[in-house]
Amino acid sequence: MEQQEQSAFGRRDFLKTTAVIGAFGALSGTWSDGLVTRAHAASPINQERAGTKIVKTNCRSCTADCGVLAHVKDGRVIKIEGNPEFERSEGALCTKGLAGIQALYHPNRNKYPMKRVGARGENKWKRISWDEALNEIAQKLMEIREKYGAEAVMGSTGGGGNPNFLSCCRFCDVFGSPNWFEPGASQCYMPRQMVYQMTYGGGPSGNPSLGDSNCIEAFFYNEIKMKTFVLWGTDPSYSGPSQAGRALVELRARGVQTIVIDPRFTPDAAKADIWLPIRPGTDVALMMAWIKKIIDQKWYDHDFVMKWTNLPFLVNTKTKMILRENELIEGGRADTFVIWDTKTNAPAGLTYPWDDALEPALEGTYTIKDVEYKTGFTLLRERVAPFSVEKAAEECGLEVVKIEKAIQMYAKNTPSAIALGVATDHNVNSAQAPMGTATLDMIMGNVEKPGTILQRYAGGAIGDLRSTMLKKFLPEAQLRKRLGGIEHKGMLRWWVAQPAPLLEAMTTGKPYGIHAWIERSGNKLAMVADASKWIEGLKKLDLVVHAFVYPTSFSAYADYLLPMNEWLESDFITSSHNRMFARQAVTHLWETCNETFFWARLAKKCAELGHEECKRAFDPKATAPELPYFNTYEEQLDGWTKYFGMTWKEYIAKVPFDNVPYDQWRKYYIYKEIDSRTNKPKGFGTPSKKLEVYGESFIVLGRTGRPWTTYDLPPSSKDYDPLVYYMEPTENRKTEVGKEYPLTMTNGRLPMYHHGTLRNVPYIRELYPVAEIWVNPIAAKKYGVAQGDWVWVESLRGKIRAKARVTEGIPPDTVYMERFWNPETLDSPTKGWQEMNVNVLSKLTAPYNDMFGTYTLRGYQVKISKADGAPQGILEKPEEFKRWMPEPSDAAPAVRL
Amino acid sequence: MKKTMVIDLDRCIGCYSCEMACKMENDVALGVYYNKVLTIGPMGTYPDIQQYQLPTICQQCYNPTCVDVCPTGASFKAADGTVMVDKELCIGCKYCMMACPYGARSYNAEQKVVEKCTLCAHLTAVGEKPACVKVCCSKCRFFGDIDDPNSEVAKVLKEAGAENIHSLPDRGNHPSVKYILHRKTAQWQDLPPKETWRTPHQSGKKEEKRHG
Repeated sequence: MEQQEQSAFGRRDFLKTTAVIGAFGALSGTWSDGLVTRAHAASPINQERAGTKIVKTNCRSCTADCGVLAHVKDGRVIKIEGNPEFERSEGALCTKGLAGIQALYHPNRNKYPMKRVGARGENKWKRISWDEALNEIAQKLMEIREKYGAEAVMGSTGGGGNPNFLSCCRFCDVFGSPNWFEPGASQCYMPRQMVYQMTYGGGPSGNPSLGDSNCIEAFFYNEIKMKTFVLWGTDPSYSGPSQAGRALVELRARGVQTIVIDPRFTPDAAKADIWLPIRPGTDVALMMAWIKKIIDQKWYDHDFVMKWTNLPFLVNTKTKMILRENELIEGGRADTFVIWDTKTNAPAGLTYPWDDALEPALEGTYTIKDVEYKTGFTLLRERVAPFSVEKAAEECGLEVVKIEKAIQMYAKNTPSAIALGVATDHNVNSAQAPMGTATLDMIMGNVEKPGTILQRYAGGAIGDLRSTMLKKFLPEAQLRKRLGGIEHKGMLRWWVAQPAPLLEAMTTGKPYGIHAWIERSGNKLAMVADASKWIEGLKKLDLVVHAFVYPTSFSAYADYLLPMNEWLESDFITSSHNRMFARQAVTHLWETCNETFFWARLAKKCAELGHEECKRAFDPKATAPELPYFNTYEEQLDGWTKYFGMTWKEYIAKVPFDNVPYDQWRKYYIYKEIDSRTNKPKGFGTPSKKLEVYGESFIVLGRTGRPWTTYDLPPSSKDYDPLVYYMEPTENRKTEVGKEYPLTMTNGRLPMYHHGTLRNVPYIRELYPVAEIWVNPIAAKKYGVAQGDWVWVESLRGKIRAKARVTEGIPPDTVYMERFWNPETLDSPTKGWQEMNVNVLSKLTAPYNDMFGTYTLRGYQVKISKADGAPQGILEKPEEFKRWMPEPSDAAPAVRL
Repeated sequence: MKKTMVIDLDRCIGCYSCEMACKMENDVALGVYYNKVLTIGPMGTYPDIQQYQLPTICQQCYNPTCVDVCPTGASFKAADGTVMVDKELCIGCKYCMMACPYGARSYNAEQKVVEKCTLCAHLTAVGEKPACVKVCCSKCRFFGDIDDPNSEVAKVLKEAGAENIHSLPDRGNHPSVKYILHRKTAQWQDLPPKETWRTPHQSGKKEEKRHG
């Protein structure tokens, strides 16, 4: 045929699908709505492309900051692509990042500050100016402070929707309230980060959370020495496809063996060498079995354990504290720890780092001056003694053979490493799980070697540079009032309060009332445990402010709605490993405001109303060494980039550049380097400079709050345990509750959503329109549920609906759901959070994790039954999401407050 | 010359980036997919199961039945071997949609014409790679001339080895798109099993979208 001879290029029909038209079409709902006419489409491609400016920026649809090339034409963002210069993502971009345009130009964005005019929940609003909004809010805050104390004002933030994490904390410090929280913190990352910081001391990023841009070694796959990678409760292909998920693809392609411990058959599980579909909430039992097996079989690195962990040190079995040399002999050193010398059969101080004259015992029970001592190693061995592989298999619902195979692979095919995901932060074992994985990697000697993930690359995280707390502005008396703060001192790490007592205070006024809530995040009601309970508390508040990108269920209960920037509208410092980048505002719409700037302006207004600390927070001398608040966001940006000796303008002209020279940045075996001050090896970042598998520091933390405070707080009701221990989920299959509610609920990420965001983005919602519940065919048959059925899911706390995905990829007694809410029913009585929100079912009540106060988001009991149909008013068909397709919006000047 | 695509399923992690990037790039309507990622499996019985992800696109057949049945010549084979639709000639009769064994074509209700994956001809014409290739998180997609032994597609196929190269079922149309899948990852399914990831609503015109 004649057509076969024609070149594809140059034909008019192909021109219709050029990038420019494609994206413009997306802006207008459908392309034929006419932003670009067909005649225009016939112009040569290159001409169309010539008018397009490409801005290098960084995504913030999740926390990973992937490099982005934003194509801008006539002031509008028409296309986004990955930036290949950004090493961590290498040009890849996930669906969340691609959603940027539809999120930016969403017709339902918060566009102006709004004030409630009807009753709360009536959804009636009037537009007001930023000045009016800030004045009225500050006035109210000051009244509440005067009447009830600053602690009656509560702040909150969250990971979704372009946050600057610590800006909420900073405001609360300055205002004088100890009460801010986020649904993450104790339930996300903080337990893993703090436990590794205190036992390893590798800085804020020296921990195994792949999803938090750590485990940098995994990204050097071309030269990888790693042999076995354990993915414990983490699913990088879903939680971070363009970064950690991508790195994992490369590792597998280079022969790294993987073990996936996850009840859900994720793509990473499907590609693993061993999949252990564990019963939710029982991970620590399995870790303890791994430790026992490795100790019993002597598979640990004996020399490393002796020389570089604190396990040979003698521990007083009554006080649980490690014996110091100054307690043993007159004139002994307080920083020298005592071992049992087998040569002399007597205790002796072990001079750091090692004393060849001594032959320390790794194990044993000894009596010194009538007091019983055991080595840390002996205490560890005793602790894990009950956890045989058989016992773990029973507890965790796994096969003995597969557990044995996994331990062998991890212990024998080395170097190996364990990445620990958010799963274990979602139940009461949140502190113990990282203690378990830290113990494993430390006794195996998987530390600072090539191919292991516990590394201290210089420079560390630049997070501290971008936003800081102002701890010293919060008076000690106020810190003591932090709800849950004395009992759960692990929360001092992020300087955060505990959700459950905050709700109690809101609802009952005990121990004191909370009267105002300033909330900067998406939909708290879809994120906090036992969501229904929070409504009662919300209704009692005198002031509720919601600052976000678009309205969510939470907005319905607010008095003020404040419009915040999307990531395509914001400037911020970003980095890829050691390389500095910049998120740059590509456009600006409506009266949306930068979040960091909003908090600063609120502090300014309070200062104007006579708040002395708020006033002082603008004085660099008062805040030093931290940065003060600034009067404009431009000054704030310059303040941040001053660290590099340049202005923000100079910084964005210079990026990308290395933070520290590469050869100084990436180095192994930092602990062996000689410290010029002491002429001894640097060791690890712990008080003993050894890896503190025996977590004495946790005891000190519980008794005083140190090292996260500079003064002593009252002790918690009981000492924190220095060694890993297992707590079975209290609501489980074997208990009375299990008879009525036989299935155990777990959660886990999806590749198209980050926390509560993006449920209103059309191309995202059509990928995953409604909440699914994964049900094994055995359970499906038993409870009368078929593929695609709507089912009721009930717990002791409430009842929701979800769509059944009947799959072999979940254990028969476990079900899986991910968080969901429905923007389409915001204006209905459900406010969009009651239909399919798994956190209507989750558990807010005690027991909590001792150190962190963590409640239970995974590993509680539910039952399922067939429902008649879908919840009223929800959208499911792709065409129905057309109402949320982008609207063309012209750029507006930045907000000056 | 035969421009086509090779997709390495050992690498694919089912993140849907390609599916979404395709829609953004080509302004594909809600409910329509040029490039739809299917989940094949899990196969077997818990806990001994396997699964892989299968991105489905126009298979760029050597003997495209869609071209054969087109009454106006709108569907044609271009000089570079790609199968294309000239929308100016298309009368929207949908014969080609019926003829395609893979459900790779869809009807554009706004324009009243049939459309499908063009391998981003507008991008490759100016030296760029197709949107799905550029965006791919697992770098599992390769585009190029399968007849040129020096092309990337030819090289990855050579490296994979014949026993690990698969095609969608051939109905005499001879699909040119190749999938790489090693037995260690999962057993290739000649007839893709019932899809469980999506509800019927999600796939739009489900019956047209099924293949095999």
